[in-house]
Amino acid sequence: MSENKAFIQVQNLSYSYLDGTQALSQINLEIVKGEFIALIGQNGSGKTTLSKCLNGLFKPTTGDVIVEGLNSKNTSIVQMVRRVGYVFQNPDHQLFNNNCWDEIAYGPRNILLPEDEVKVRVQEAADVVGLPEMYFSEHPFFLTKGLRQRVAIASILALRPQVIIVDEPTTGQDASQSYEIMGFLKNLNKEHGHTVMIITHDMPIVAQYARRVIAMGMGRVMADGSTSEVFKQADILAKTFLEPPQITQLAQLASGLGFNPGTLSVDEMVKQYQALKQA
Amino acid sequence: MPAIVEVQNYSWEYLNTDQPALNNITMTIDEGTFVGVIGPNGSGKTTLAYSLDGLIPGQYHGIKQGSVKILGREVEEYPRGELQRQVGVVFSDPESQFTAMTVEDELVFGMENLGMSIPEIRERLDWVLDLTNLAPLLNKPPYEISGGQKQRVALAAVLAMTPKIMILDEPTSMLDPLSRRRVFDVLARLKKEQKNTIIVIEHSLENLIPLADRMILLSQGEITMDGPTTDFFQHIDLLLEKGISPPGAMRFFYELKRAGVYRGDFPLTAEEGWKHLERLFENSTTEGYPL
Repeated sequence: MSENKAFIQVQNLSYSYLDGTQALSQINLEIVKGEFIALIGQNGSGKTTLSKCLNGLFKPTTGDVIVEGLNSKNTSIVQMVRRVGYVFQNPDHQLFNNNCWDEIAYGPRNILLPEDEVKVRVQEAADVVGLPEMYFSEHPFFLTKGLRQRVAIASILALRPQVIIVDEPTTGQDASQSYEIMGFLKNLNKEHGHTVMIITHDMPIVAQYARRVIAMGMGRVMADGSTSEVFKQADILAKTFLEPPQITQLAQLASGLGFNPGTLSVDEMVKQYQALKQA
Repeated sequence: MPAIVEVQNYSWEYLNTDQPALNNITMTIDEGTFVGVIGPNGSGKTTLAYSLDGLIPGQYHGIKQGSVKILGREVEEYPRGELQRQVGVVFSDPESQFTAMTVEDELVFGMENLGMSIPEIRERLDWVLDLTNLAPLLNKPPYEISGGQKQRVALAAVLAMTPKIMILDEPTSMLDPLSRRRVFDVLARLKKEQKNTIIVIEHSLENLIPLADRMILLSQGEITMDGPTTDFFQHIDLLLEKGISPPGAMRFFYELKRAGVYRGDFPLTAEEGWKHLERLFENSTTEGYPL
């Protein structure tokens, strides 16, 4: 199988809500297995609507979403969510069972897997997110937000989707909690081969973890490319009222001295400084 | 200027916990200061906000030691409702403080409750609408507007009461970048035009730093660092150790300093960083030392 074949193809996708509001217009993109993508844009720019189209919760008004060869228009939600999982922004909107085990087992049971298989899936998902067995019988609400988020992700992983979309994983978290969650998502991507897409407003997080950025504005894709390429396009970002992280802004101000306007990290900036000074 | 907040050897321990949420805090805040409070989750930031507006000890059970004075008077000694005229609080979840059916009613409610005259209410309403750009939303129900607009309504409702002290507890943690900038724009105007005492608890340092006169770092219920913003951010080691991630330009110059090629102050903004960097490149003869 070719590595480059798109796992998800989005073709001329438009989506309008029942009241006529057009949330997405003319979206075209492809997502390949193993990518780590950040979907950025203001609230109301269409990020969540696009995510829900990708996992089949919403069917396109016009155009197509094709996942692993299946067109979402004539594929059941059950088939779709086994391929593309969506983790809610607030884990508390997703968790509703009385203990973590039942929470994670809910999806597999819902797609009518035999109970033996459910057990295997729950254990596997709990292992991947690093949820210790002592929490299996705990009520999710008594866990910290970080652990609740892990339970929420595990409950999606139990369906073994190739793609996992996580909506605002670091909102309300402090720096070390954010790094913990992002480190975990990085591991899902690197070690377990999942395609990861995060929806976020945190540009330093995007710069540090995402290899590709899709910037949305007014229901359209305004920019799509490698993180460095997208952050370079300050004028396009400004149209969507987004700013690259501060280190990238500094590199752009100093581009006349030879700094790369697509610089993403302090380390990169230091290396360039040393090289430019020696030159 | 006189101290408007005086906290002396203050500790607070919530009922049924084995560690104080705040432990022997001492600080004073002068009138008109813009203070940024940072620290990891669980370090006592929100407890401090509650302690200054009287929610603690009024609404919570626990053990208080030491003293918390607002305008020279201990918080418990204010008659009910009186302290809230002096101290206004905006939380990260503005919906929790909405009660009315329209934005206008929400803004007017607090002023009516204080018994203001109609002309005065009208004047203040115009003022906060101008400040927060909410005029087009006056007739909307507060639950139908966006998160960023809600936060500006909450801010406007508190501002309309013209409290001497405004406390904002993670006002932008749930907002997108544009809404976040609008909230900080309002704060910038307040700082410039009104000279309120403003205390902002935030994780988003890039927006906070340019406005703050003074920064306080809380960690495990104690004040770990407290000083003028520029001095405060010369201690990057300590911030990193406490799990705070300073903005990129600051960390870049911190790395240059560690490498021995920079001796100046750490920049507070990207623009300041750019000026330092320009000087480093101009003075190649002095081995990059800008001093």
